[in-house]
Amino acid sequence: MTTLTTRTAGAPAGERRRSARRTRRRRRRGPSAYAVLVGMTALAAIMLIPFVVVVFNALKSPAEYSANGPLAPPEGLYLQGVRDFWERVDFGRVLFNSALISGSVAVGAVLLSVLNAYALGIGRVKGRMWVLVVLLMANTLPQEALVYPLFYLSKQFGLYDTRLGVIIVFTVIQSAFGTYLLSSVLSTFPRPLLEAARIDGAGRWQILWRVVVPVVRPTLSVLLVFFFIWTWNEFLIPMVFLQSNDNQTVSVALGVLHGQRLMDATMSSAAALLGLIPTVVFFLIFQRTLSRGLTAGAIK
Amino acid sequence: MNRPGRGTALLAALAAGSLALTACGGGGGESNPNELRLWHYESPDSAMGVAWNQAIKEFEATHPGVKVKFEEKGFEQIQKTAPMVLNSNDAPDILEYNKGNATAGLLSKQGLLDDMSAEVAKRGWDKMLSPNIAVTSKYDAKGVMGGDKWYGIPNYAEYTLIYYNKELFDKHGVKVPTTYDELIKAMDQFVAKGVTPFTNAGAEVMAQHFIYQLALDKADPNWVQAYQRYTGKANLTDQAWTAGATTFADWVKKGYIAKNSVSLKAEDAGVAFIQGKFPMMFSGTWWFGRVLKEAKFDWDTMLWPGGTMTAGSGGNLWVVPKGSKNKKLAYDFIDITMKKNIQNALGNAGGVPVAADPAAITEPKAKKLIENFDRLAKNNGLAYYPDWPVPGFYDKWVSAGQKLMNGSSPSSVLGDLQKDYDSGVPK
Repeated sequence: MTTLTTRTAGAPAGERRRSARRTRRRRRRGPSAYAVLVGMTALAAIMLIPFVVVVFNALKSPAEYSANGPLAPPEGLYLQGVRDFWERVDFGRVLFNSALISGSVAVGAVLLSVLNAYALGIGRVKGRMWVLVVLLMANTLPQEALVYPLFYLSKQFGLYDTRLGVIIVFTVIQSAFGTYLLSSVLSTFPRPLLEAARIDGAGRWQILWRVVVPVVRPTLSVLLVFFFIWTWNEFLIPMVFLQSNDNQTVSVALGVLHGQRLMDATMSSAAALLGLIPTVVFFLIFQRTLSRGLTAGAIK
Repeated sequence: MNRPGRGTALLAALAAGSLALTACGGGGGESNPNELRLWHYESPDSAMGVAWNQAIKEFEATHPGVKVKFEEKGFEQIQKTAPMVLNSNDAPDILEYNKGNATAGLLSKQGLLDDMSAEVAKRGWDKMLSPNIAVTSKYDAKGVMGGDKWYGIPNYAEYTLIYYNKELFDKHGVKVPTTYDELIKAMDQFVAKGVTPFTNAGAEVMAQHFIYQLALDKADPNWVQAYQRYTGKANLTDQAWTAGATTFADWVKKGYIAKNSVSLKAEDAGVAFIQGKFPMMFSGTWWFGRVLKEAKFDWDTMLWPGGTMTAGSGGNLWVVPKGSKNKKLAYDFIDITMKKNIQNALGNAGGVPVAADPAAITEPKAKKLIENFDRLAKNNGLAYYPDWPVPGFYDKWVSAGQKLMNGSSPSSVLGDLQKDYDSGVPK
């Protein structure tokens, strides 16, 4: 990635000419390029439609919704839905719980994944293939199947209805995927780098923290972001495990609005908008990390 | 590329935060004799929400020193997690729970609910609830409703009825029907004017209520008992069911019900009625409060013309978990919700109270709603809901309704339902 940006005035003449030709070619954009542009713009617009509908309905009063239907733009700014929802579920606390759980899980799962993957990918322990297969299988297991066993376990350990219980469960679930991914990244780790470190007298622990982790840091930060967002959006396990409203997460709090027979469309939209904003903000902050790609890294 | 300081600092901050905060997990579990932990899932502006808020205030006023710790839950959350919560130390002292064999019946069978028969007799609740409503409060050893032991108390009831838009009836010169034949005539007049008479939602509960109602028109209470409580052999291909399914399919063909409503949700159908696009909506009393608040036209309600029975039952139940640590307080709370002033508040807010004083209901439409209910309850007219007898029957009924709307033959659709019914009935 960095090599592309190093074409400066100091580059040889041939190089410069080639790059000039490239800019000229870029300027002569054919009609096909515009067709692609138009197509992508249309696609982006289509992707934004659901979001727009949510925003529309979040800003409507229930009477307006019933009178004009879900697709009409709001007549004015109606913020009561957002305000009511905030107070009804004590959204500040819910937000804090979600951030706490997702943050802890993201950090914990990345740490666990690194340690596991170091043993599997670089340490090449015996039977690593089977360990990976088991982890992958655990990953494909539907959460519904896990709920009852986990419920009894957490009850035994006194972790039922605690945030710690949910953090442990998700740290393990997420690190199963993390281990699987990182092991394959680390199995292609350049051996000469490891050998050089060993010759310099580094122990296993030092190699991990001084050599391996800095090199795969971009991958780790991507994993961190994904774990955070995935855990944020989890519904079933938090719903089952966090009984008291004091411990609830954002996605569970949204469920309060779906009644047995009726739903409150405008308030649901307002709530969805509130629940969405933190992940969008988090995504924007870490956008650069994400765009580096899941398997970025390796040797410079 | 990645300045080393930032990422590490962030990691450290997150890790430190998580450590500090997981330490203060805990909570719940410990019992407090001065706190009533109460869960329900009605929205604060619904009739039940309004009445129960008032009940909580009255409870705290009559029990000095006792606080009510109310937690609002989602319907789905309570449905999915109740068996687990009630089995743990974190069970609330009292909660609202869905009535029926597959829900409250199942919990009572598993021994998770407190048998409140003694309290019911002592406090006289059995005299306030008509036998037709009490069916869903009492379960037998198998968890089948209509049993001998009380496991819950409903504060309200529900039934299906027709909401009609008076302005559309006037505009098209159609007379509001009072008999089944007049209903058919009125629908023909609407169709002739290019108006679809009924709003409908094929993807949700509305379609099956039509089928059930059209079958009930040809049935009697024994037929309902056989189907709902397994007192006899239920034959889903009998004359009443066949009439129900055939008539429903016929109504779709004639345009009384729009064919393209097959994939609509109840929310869409209700909003379409509130927007004034359809002259009639056949659905439950749970729409009443919303129509009252949001419809901008002149409207009213009526029972199904010519019908003596309709879908309906007592509402959701207050149940007391076996593990409740404050049972006495819980029963005191139920007692308050059954008092006249709370019941009247429920009625005035658009609900159907079970023990209100009709004279105290001021809203004329609500008064009519409650009077019609009393008529039904006195005459054994509540026929419960078609999807109740068998677990998972609701989805089968939705698909049956959709198949009928799409032109499948009624006999094959009913035959499929019979198979599902037979395999799901408790032995």
